[in-house]
Amino acid sequence: MAHFDTEYQRLEASYSDSPPGEENLLMHVPEGVKSQWHHIENLDLIFLNTYYVYNLHQKNGFTCMLLGEIFELVQLLFVVGFTVFLANCVDYDVLFANKFVNHTDSSKVTLPDAFLPVDVCSARIRNNAFVIFVLIISGVFWLHRLFKFIYNVCCYWEIRSFYINALKMTMSELPYATWQEVQARIVEIQKEHQICIHKKELTELDIYHRILRFKNYMVAMVNKSLLPVRFRLPVLGEYVFYTRGLKYNFELIFFWGPGSLFENEWSLKQEYKRGGNRLELADRLASRILWIGIANLLLCPVILVWQILYAFFSYTEVIKREPGSLGARCWSLYGRCYLRHFNELDHELMSRLSKGYKAASKYMNCFLSPLLTVVAKNVAFFAGSLLAVLIALTIYDEDVLAVEHVLSSITLLGVCITICRSFIPDKHMVFCPEQLLRVILAHIHYMPDHWQGNAHRYETRDQFSQLFQYKAVFILEELLSPVVTPIILIFCLRRKSLEIIDFFRNFTVEVVGVGDTCSFAQMDIRQHGHPAWMSEGKTEASIYQQAEDGKTELSLMHFAITNPQWQPPRETTHFISQLKERVHREATGAPSDTHPMSLSESEPRSLIANLLTGPSTLASVHFDRDISLANHAAAGINDGGSALRSLSPISSSLHLRGSLSAAHRAAGHTSRTMAGSGTDARTVSSGSSAWEGQLTSLVLSEYASTEMSIHALYMHELHKQQSRGEMSRHTWHRQESDESSDSIPDEVRSEPIPHSRNFPRSHTFPTTVPSPSAIPTSASATSSTALGQERKRCGSCIVRSARVPMGGWAEDGQTAQRHHEPLPEESLEDEMPPHIHKVNALSFCVCY
Amino acid sequence: MNCRSEVLEVTVEARQVEEAMLALLHTILLHRSTGKFHYKKEGTYSIGTVGTQDIDCDFIDFTFVRVSSEELDRMIRKAVSEFKDALSNSGSDGMGQISLEFYQKKKSRWPFSDECIPWEVWSIKVNVVNLANEQERQICREKVGEKLGEKVINVVEVINRHEYLPKMPTQSEVDNVFDTTLKDVQPYLYKITYQITDSLGTSVSTTMRRD
Repeated sequence: MAHFDTEYQRLEASYSDSPPGEENLLMHVPEGVKSQWHHIENLDLIFLNTYYVYNLHQKNGFTCMLLGEIFELVQLLFVVGFTVFLANCVDYDVLFANKFVNHTDSSKVTLPDAFLPVDVCSARIRNNAFVIFVLIISGVFWLHRLFKFIYNVCCYWEIRSFYINALKMTMSELPYATWQEVQARIVEIQKEHQICIHKKELTELDIYHRILRFKNYMVAMVNKSLLPVRFRLPVLGEYVFYTRGLKYNFELIFFWGPGSLFENEWSLKQEYKRGGNRLELADRLASRILWIGIANLLLCPVILVWQILYAFFSYTEVIKREPGSLGARCWSLYGRCYLRHFNELDHELMSRLSKGYKAASKYMNCFLSPLLTVVAKNVAFFAGSLLAVLIALTIYDEDVLAVEHVLSSITLLGVCITICRSFIPDKHMVFCPEQLLRVILAHIHYMPDHWQGNAHRYETRDQFSQLFQYKAVFILEELLSPVVTPIILIFCLRRKSLEIIDFFRNFTVEVVGVGDTCSFAQMDIRQHGHPAWMSEGKTEASIYQQAEDGKTELSLMHFAITNPQWQPPRETTHFISQLKERVHREATGAPSDTHPMSLSESEPRSLIANLLTGPSTLASVHFDRDISLANHAAAGINDGGSALRSLSPISSSLHLRGSLSAAHRAAGHTSRTMAGSGTDARTVSSGSSAWEGQLTSLVLSEYASTEMSIHALYMHELHKQQSRGEMSRHTWHRQESDESSDSIPDEVRSEPIPHSRNFPRSHTFPTTVPSPSAIPTSASATSSTALGQERKRCGSCIVRSARVPMGGWAEDGQTAQRHHEPLPEESLEDEMPPHIHKVNALSFCVCY
Repeated sequence: MNCRSEVLEVTVEARQVEEAMLALLHTILLHRSTGKFHYKKEGTYSIGTVGTQDIDCDFIDFTFVRVSSEELDRMIRKAVSEFKDALSNSGSDGMGQISLEFYQKKKSRWPFSDECIPWEVWSIKVNVVNLANEQERQICREKVGEKLGEKVINVVEVINRHEYLPKMPTQSEVDNVFDTTLKDVQPYLYKITYQITDSLGTSVSTTMRRD
C-alpha cells in the first residue's frame, strides 16, 4: 500500500475516549478563607460603642490607646499610694518647722528629713484600720481594672489587625483619617468579605446603630423625660442632677449589669419584649434597682473618698495655674444627652458643642447680676491694692517672701481677684441675648420652644444653665454624686420601673443584622415624627410615640447631611429632599422675589452640593444674604445664615476669602450695581476654582455642619410659626384623640407653675410637674391589663397609660391661650418668612 | 447575632415525632452536605459523589430523600430519639424544639479554646397532640404528610436563596468548615440541640444555642 502523504493526520492529544480516572474529575480551586474577617460572630465586637473600631479610631490608634490605658493604671496606683504616703509617712512638724532637725553639716531642712522612717511608717499604716480598708478596696478595684485592661488589649489587638488587614489602614495614618473614611472602608469590605451575613451591603445607619445602640436608648429616655434627672428642690428650684456616677448606674441597670434588661450586647431579653407579665417584670426591675441602690449606699464612703482624692489631684494644679477655670463653663452631662441627636457619634457631638461654646458663654455672661458686679468690682479693687503692695515689696526685697504667710496671701489674693473679675462684665459687651441664643441654636440644634422671644429672661438663662453649667458646679456635683446617686436610685428610679419596662418594650425594634435597637434611632418620621415639626400628615405616631423637640426630624436631617451616601427609605427621602429644597429656596430664592436679577439661577439642589460645585454659587448664596439684609427682607433663615457666616470658619476659610470679599463689596453697593458686582464675584471665584478638586472630607464635614446649622435654624423657625398658628388645633386634637385627658384632675391642669406665671412654657421642655407624680401609677394601673395584651403600635391604649408620666401636659391650656394673642395673619403662612427688622439683623452683626 | 435563623413549626402525634424530625433534619442536611473533598497538589480538589436514597415513613404518608450514609443517619437518629424520649417524659402535651445549627470553627491561640461561630440555625418547633380515635389518626397521617411536603419546599426555597455560605476551605482549614469524620459524606459542621417546654406553657429558656 502506497504511502499517501496527506495533510490529514491523527490528532494526538485533543480527544480521548474518557478513560474513567481520578485525573479527569472536575477540579475545584478552593477560595480559602482569605481573611479571618468574613463572617464574624459578634459584629458588635467590631462595631461596639466603647472598645472597638470607633474607639480605636477616636483614640488615635493602638499605641496611643495602650499608653493611655497603662498611664491610667499607673495613675490609679499613684493616687492611692501618694495619698497613703502623705497621710502616714510625712512628719509635718518638720515641714512646718515646728520641730528642729539636728543636722550636723548644714542648717537646711531637706525634703527627706520630713519623711518618717520606713518601720514607723508601716507601723502607722498597719494600726490604722481605715487606711487598710481603703487600701484593700482600691487594691480590688485596681485588679479589676487590670483584668479589664488585659482583656481590652486583646480586643484592641484584634481590632488593630482588622484595621491593618481588612481595612488596609496602618496605625500611623489612623489619627489623620476621618471617621467617614473609616466608615466608607467598612462599607466597602462588607461587599468583599461579607462580615455581616444577613445582607450584602452594610449601610451607614447599620454601623451607627451598632456603635450607638445604648446611647440612642439613653438619648430617647432623656428625650421622653423618663430618667429621673430633674428635681424640684426647696431652695434651688428646679434642678438637674446627672453625673457620671448616676449615668454609670443607669447603664449598669439597663444594659450590661448582671440581670439587666439586655441579654447580651445586641438583644433585649425575650420576656421584656412581651407585654404579658409587665407588672411582674417591673417588680423585678424595681427590686434590682433597690439592690443596686443599696450596694451604692454601702460603697458610698469608698467612692466618696475616691472622688475627693481624684478631684484633688486632677484639679488643684489647674486651679492654681488658672483660677479662672472654675468660673468657666462646660456643657453638662445632661446637656450632652438632651442636645444629642439620635445616631450622633461622640466626636460629632463634641465638635458641634464646642462650636457653640463661645456663643453660649457669651450668652451666659450677659446675665451677670449687677449687685454682684458692684461688690466684685470693689472687692477686686481692695484685693488688688493689697496685692500690688505685696508684689511691689517683694520686688524691692525678696526677703518679704520669707515672712510668714506672705506667699500664701499673695496666692489667695490672686485667686480672689480672678474670681471677682469673672463677675465683672466686659466693658464692650452689648446685651443682645436673642441673637446670641439664635447663634447658639445654630450649633446645638435643640432648644425648648419657649426660649425663643424670652432669651432675655432669667428663667431662660437658668434653664440654659442646666445645659451649660459652671465647671466648679460640675466638679461639686461629681463629688456629691456618691451620696446622691443611691438616693435617686432608691427613691426616684424605682418608682419608674413600670414605665421603663414599657419603654423598652414599645420602643425596641429588631433590625436584621443589627439586633435590637431603639426604634427612635430608626428616625422614621412615620412612626416617631412630631406633627409640629414638619412631619404633619406624614406621621402616624401617637403622642407617646412622638419624639419631643423635633428630635426625630432634626436627627434625620443631621444624619442625612453627615452621611450623604446614605440611602434612606423612600418616604424619608421625600421628607429630606422636600425640606432641603425648601431651605434652599428660602436661602436663595427670597431675595429673588425683590430682584429678578438675582444671581442664584442655580438649580435647587442641596446647599452642600452648591457649596461644593463651585465657589461662584457659594458667593451667590452669601451675596444673596447680604442683599437681603440690605433690603429689609431677611428671612429667618437668612438671618441665621448670616449668623453662621459671621461665625463659622467658612467665612474666614482661606479658600473662600476672595470670593467672599467680592460678595461683601457687592453687598455694600446698592441694587443699582447689582449686575456688575455679580459678575465680579464670579470672575473672582472662577479664578480660585482650582482648589475644588482637593476638597478633603474634612472640608466636607465642615460644610456639612454649616448646612446642618442652617437646616436646624430653618426647622426651628418653621416650627415656631407652625406652633403659633396651630397650637389651638393641636391641643384640641390631642384632647380629642385621647380620652384619658379627662383623667387628669382639674387641679393639676389649672395649677399654675410658680415659675411660669407670665412665661409661656412649651410642653416639649421636660419639666417636673409638682403634683401629678401620683397619677402615673394609678392611670397605668387601670390600663395595665388592657395594655398587657397589646403590641407595639396600638395607639390609644399605650398612650393612655403613658401620656401622663410624660409630664408637662398640664400646661397645655395655658400655652394655647398665650400663643393665641400675638398672631398676625400673614405669619400663618408657612412659605412666608418672618420679616425681621433691619435693626435687629444689624445689631446682630454688631454683636459679632 | 450574626447568623441566619429559620423556624419551622409542625404539629404531630406522639408516634410521628421521630419520623417527622428525621424527615426535616435529613432534608436540611441533604442540602448542606457535599461529597468528600480530595485535595490535589496544586491547591485544587475534587469532590466525591453523594448517594441519595428515598425513605418511606411508617406513620406518615410521606417519603423523603436523604443522603445515603448510614453513619450520618445513625447520628441523627440518636439525637432525635433522645429528643423524643425527653418529650414523652416531659408530661402530657409536650412542646419542644429541636435545633440544627451549622457553624464554623475559628482556631484560637493557646489559652482560649476554639470558637464555634454559627452561621445558620434551623429551629423546628414541635407540638404534640393526642388523638382520640383511629379515624382522626388516619386524617392526621395524611395531613402531616402534606404539611411536611410544604416544609420541605420551604427548606428548599430558603436554601435556594443565595445567601452566605462559608467559603470553600483549603486543605488545612477543611476541618473548620466541614465535618470530615464521616467516610462517605461531608456535611457542614453542625450540631443538634433540643429544648423542652414544660406543660405549664412557660417557656424554659435554657437555650443551648449560642448565637
